[in-house]
Amino acid sequence: MYTEIYGIALRSLLISSTATLLALVWSIPFTAKLISIRHRSKDIIIGIFNTLIGLPTVLVGLVLYLLFSYSGPLGFLELLYTPYTIIIGESILITPLVISLLYEVFSRAYNEYWELALTLGADKLQAYKLIIREVISDIFVVSLISFSRAIGELGVALIVGGNIKGYTRVFTTAIALEIEKGEFETAIILGLLLFIVVLSVILTARIIKRRV
Amino acid sequence: MKKFLMILIILVTITTVTTIVYMSVFGKETLRVLKVSTTTSLYVTGLLEKLAEEFRKEYPNVVIQFIAVGTGRALEIASKGDVDMVFVHAPSLEHKYINRGTLVDGHIIAYNYFVIVGPKDDPAGIKGLNNPVKALRRIYNAGVSGMTLFISRGDNSGTHIRELALWRKAGLNPIGQKWYIESGTGMSKTLMIANERKAYTLSDIGTYLKLKGEGILGRLEVLVDKGEGLINIYSAYIVNPEKYKVNYELAKLFLEFVLSRKGQKIINEYGRKLFGRPLFYSAYGKENELKELWNTLLEH
Repeated sequence: MYTEIYGIALRSLLISSTATLLALVWSIPFTAKLISIRHRSKDIIIGIFNTLIGLPTVLVGLVLYLLFSYSGPLGFLELLYTPYTIIIGESILITPLVISLLYEVFSRAYNEYWELALTLGADKLQAYKLIIREVISDIFVVSLISFSRAIGELGVALIVGGNIKGYTRVFTTAIALEIEKGEFETAIILGLLLFIVVLSVILTARIIKRRV
Repeated sequence: MKKFLMILIILVTITTVTTIVYMSVFGKETLRVLKVSTTTSLYVTGLLEKLAEEFRKEYPNVVIQFIAVGTGRALEIASKGDVDMVFVHAPSLEHKYINRGTLVDGHIIAYNYFVIVGPKDDPAGIKGLNNPVKALRRIYNAGVSGMTLFISRGDNSGTHIRELALWRKAGLNPIGQKWYIESGTGMSKTLMIANERKAYTLSDIGTYLKLKGEGILGRLEVLVDKGEGLINIYSAYIVNPEKYKVNYELAKLFLEFVLSRKGQKIINEYGRKLFGRPLFYSAYGKENELKELWNTLLEH
């Protein structure tokens, strides 16, 4: 049983951290671009992303299921019921959160340093470097918070992952199954492990935030 | 700050590398994979895992992936072509999918019984009846007079379909009434709700015994387990390889194993030691008799 729990833990961590990295890959350039827009549409766009933070996980799961099903438009990829679809789903799910948090971080840094650096005689490249240095730890905090949202979600993992033993079974789907089996002890062990992971991630985020 | 940057870069690299390593180990299909959608009862009781484990002793390079959902969804998934094989228990529903050409090579693999379970004090007075239809009539009357509740699966599963058929047979329609609660969840959660609310429900005997064995259904007991209309027949099908991309040979291999003398013996003996009585009965040698019963269940 312990090797199985170990496998579930490792799988959960890897799937959710990959999903977080993936979300960062498109969210960082997108948000950076968004900051530089000097138009009212900026507020509308960020408003939309703020709203989408509450996107229901099961809705994301359902849409992805219909897309990736063999009878769906992306069925030829044969990605349904694999860890990869969970990664894609979780990265989509947390993107609004990542963008919203990054937006705060970037706009603060931009307002504080951009004009200042330029007036002090830095060229654009140097100004960029400065901002990147200022926000890098904040980006790390953002990714930790987003990661904890990803690892704690159930809808996507259950619908597009299928909770396959040794393959797509992660913390949340395993807990749901153990409850279904009436084996509450295992469910509690898994639940506590998940809680410890999320707790330590959030604590790490707080510590980093305070140090910077 | 620089130090921190270094740590960050190292962390990211480690995560990426391990992910790639991990995914290449588990993601690469060096093994042959058989995808099976199944009714929850066969999976939650552990029977299918046991069959797969024994099967893998003979075919170590095969991995069987089970997706455990209700019968309704298991068949829906099959009709989208997302699995190679299904294990289900709702003859009238199976019949529809056979006619649509989704399923081929159907075989009855096992059977057991549905039971009506309820609170020990049995306010509807159904204990010992050998007619489920009569029992439902009494529950209906007790429900209407506010003495009890009935929990329905409400999820188009095999058990739900049978429950509705039994109500129809009784000439009653409880849907929408206050005492008739549709849980919309699997068998286990429905049983847990019935236990909490001191209500009646229809369950397959396998899931009930499994949960009873875990010691979490203290207030419930089996009240009706005899009578016409309670037989629960499990069948396996392969998804039509002419319509979908299906791992037909592998599915056939597993199906043959389940139907073999060895596979059937596993089914017959599963849980006997743990629960004091078998959870499932093998269909071996009773195929014709079961097929006839299966046909009578289509009329609902």
